[in-house]
Amino acid sequence: MKSIELDSVSKAYGNETVLLDFSLDIEPGERVVLLGPSGCGKTTILRLVAGFIKPDSGSVSLDGQVVSRDKRILVPPQHRKLGMVFQDLALWPHLSVRGNLEFGLRAKGISKNEREAKTQKTLELVGMGGYGHRKPDELSGGQQQRVALARALVLEPKVLLMDEPLSSLDLELNRRLRKELVRLQEKLEITLLYVTHDREEASHIATRTISMEKGRISSN
Amino acid sequence: MQKRTISYMVVAVFLLIGLAPVLSMLINSIVAEGRFSLGAYSSVLTSARQWNLMAHSAVLSLLVSTFATCLGVPLGLLLGKTDLPFKKTLTALFVIPLLIPPYIIAVAWVDFLGIQHLKGLWACVLVLSSAFLPIPMLLTMIFLRTINPRLEEAARLVSGWAGVLKTITLPLILPGILLGGIVVFLLTFGEFGVPNFLRYDVFAVESFTQFSAFYNFKAATASSVPLALVTLLVLLVEARFLRERTYQIRPTPDSIQSSTSIRLGKEKHFWLGMASLLAMALVIVPLLVLLLRSEGLNSYTQALERAGHSMVRSVTYAFWGATLLTIMGFFLGYIIHTKALAFWRSVDSFTIFLFALPATVIGIGLISLWNTPWTNFVYGTAAIIILGYLAKYTALTSRIMVTQFAQVPASMEEAAHISGAGWARTMFFIVAPLAKRGLLAGWIVAYIFSIRDTGISMLVYPPGHETLPVRIFTLMANGSEQLIAALCVLMIAATLVPAAILWSVPRLLAKRKVP
Ligand SMILES: Nc1ncnc2c1ncn2[C@@H]1O[C@H](COP(=O)(O)OP(=O)(O)OP(=O)(O)O)[C@@H](O)[C@H]1O
Ligand SMILES: [Mg+2]
Repeated sequence: MKSIELDSVSKAYGNETVLLDFSLDIEPGERVVLLGPSGCGKTTILRLVAGFIKPDSGSVSLDGQVVSRDKRILVPPQHRKLGMVFQDLALWPHLSVRGNLEFGLRAKGISKNEREAKTQKTLELVGMGGYGHRKPDELSGGQQQRVALARALVLEPKVLLMDEPLSSLDLELNRRLRKELVRLQEKLEITLLYVTHDREEASHIATRTISMEKGRISSN
Repeated sequence: MQKRTISYMVVAVFLLIGLAPVLSMLINSIVAEGRFSLGAYSSVLTSARQWNLMAHSAVLSLLVSTFATCLGVPLGLLLGKTDLPFKKTLTALFVIPLLIPPYIIAVAWVDFLGIQHLKGLWACVLVLSSAFLPIPMLLTMIFLRTINPRLEEAARLVSGWAGVLKTITLPLILPGILLGGIVVFLLTFGEFGVPNFLRYDVFAVESFTQFSAFYNFKAATASSVPLALVTLLVLLVEARFLRERTYQIRPTPDSIQSSTSIRLGKEKHFWLGMASLLAMALVIVPLLVLLLRSEGLNSYTQALERAGHSMVRSVTYAFWGATLLTIMGFFLGYIIHTKALAFWRSVDSFTIFLFALPATVIGIGLISLWNTPWTNFVYGTAAIIILGYLAKYTALTSRIMVTQFAQVPASMEEAAHISGAGWARTMFFIVAPLAKRGLLAGWIVAYIFSIRDTGISMLVYPPGHETLPVRIFTLMANGSEQLIAALCVLMIAATLVPAAILWSVPRLLAKRKVP
């Protein structure tokens, strides 16, 4: 069964066509990188998979289940069981690091003890064990990055979506974090769909790279 | 979906509060004894007196909006664009007249000059211009902050500030200037407290007197329809030319802005003197006159005796009004910002229409809707006053919330959904806390406008539910000058003290936290 499947998806904003008959299959455990110039539709694909926008035509499936089809969202984002790291990280500034991780666990109705245990375990996994009480704006860029990753992982998703998460970091940190990311992905056996416009970054992360050009695949 | 259901519900509630009274008033005005009839209109429209009143209203509104704009825009530039010392204090001072019922300013001036020297058209122009001056001033300051400083910097390289202001800054804030003029025009058009007190007959006074003095509900209704039409016309013009540009105001942060403020240099003292003189004349003198006139504890004990209950009621109603207005503004602002419903734009325009609509029109509409044997639980209680606040002032809170939401990235909410949270949980734990500054600002503005409301409360208050502005207004006919002055001071205190406390407490707490 495919982990993520886009079947001839089209999407336009007004009269600007962003995706035209776009298809993509991703097997469980793959690390697929979408690579392409600014404005070619990479974020649009992630947002379609996450369920923030609906396709004009075509369908999106997760784990064999159709979640969006032809202008309809069949399964809303909160029920898709995805993890996502946003381009701007989107850490909630009014919550502590721990609060950011616990929010999703609370929504799932998980008990307090279990919440605390999972939060602590995940923070340690990304090397942020001692920072639970801090507010996001008291962290450095790389640390915020790790917290955003931890927040996405704490719900134990099978699929992780990442939108240029490392683009704002310096090269040194970028190298270190992407190595850790690969290690974590292998350890947790999740499917990764990763967006970047940096060819070098792509080559270090991907098991498969998909080069895009204005809404279509230019080469695999 | 939760989001759609709740959005529809909120809009439905708002239509019941705002649209139903206006419709009910319209229907009432064309039905006589169970039949369609334009009798009420023909008597209004054929009388020369009514046309004369309409002309008075137009002249007064034009003069006030011209004066307020001509003074308010330069003042806004001075306070928002230069390195003038004491900018914040001066701004706060100039805003005060807007925060209290305009007739209180009229009372102060009359106390100062005597009614024989202060009546008629020009007296109204003086009082209302100073009351509404803050509107063009604040809009100028807000629009100045939306200009990308780079545009001005680029022009500075080739020209002095005078040239930059003329060719870059002023054209960019022109929509704000026009908007200010329009708002002042409409507020003056609907104002009846001041013209009534200073004895200048205008149209808004007419529908009020028809109702309150002659109990002629039909005539009152028919004469408020022209008021509604003028409002609609002016707003259509506004929407046609300005709406898109005034839509989402995104101020840039202080740090960027300060890089392009005008250095006054040696002229600093001159401008500070001018601004202080103006503040003295328009704000400090009237307030001092009231304070001095109310001399002595005696007049205050008397004031509390005669209007203490009204004061408590005013504060209570304003508290509930502000709370409900904040909730309504939060949801409507959210619907408008996220375009959650296909007709979000109409919702926005409608709140603004209601804000601009003269209070008499809303008041008469509320009465015609709720004055039935089955709805006495509204008509006979404070609920009708609060409904009036909600109908008229929701535009303020919803616009404040739209501006606030524009500063919260959409990804905050999306991240919550991805974490498995539904809409209600996301709104409560993520969106509302992130918008808390807007909620607080909205609450304060709503409190001030609710407590200072005279127009609606005057028409709809049930026996035993008089608010303080209404009580003062009725006591003005026979109370002593001292008593009235003391009441006005109490009114100002009831408005400003809670607002100031709410405004400063979170700031003080925030300061304490910083190590
Ligand atoms: N909400 C929207 N409304 C209108 N157009 C949009 C919207 N979102 C995206 N677009 C347009 O769709 C196209 C693809 O956008 P997308 O964000 O997917 O690009 P991207 O590949 O992620 O670019 P970048 O590398 O800059 O993030 C762009 O031309 C963009 O202008
Ligand atoms: Mg993108």
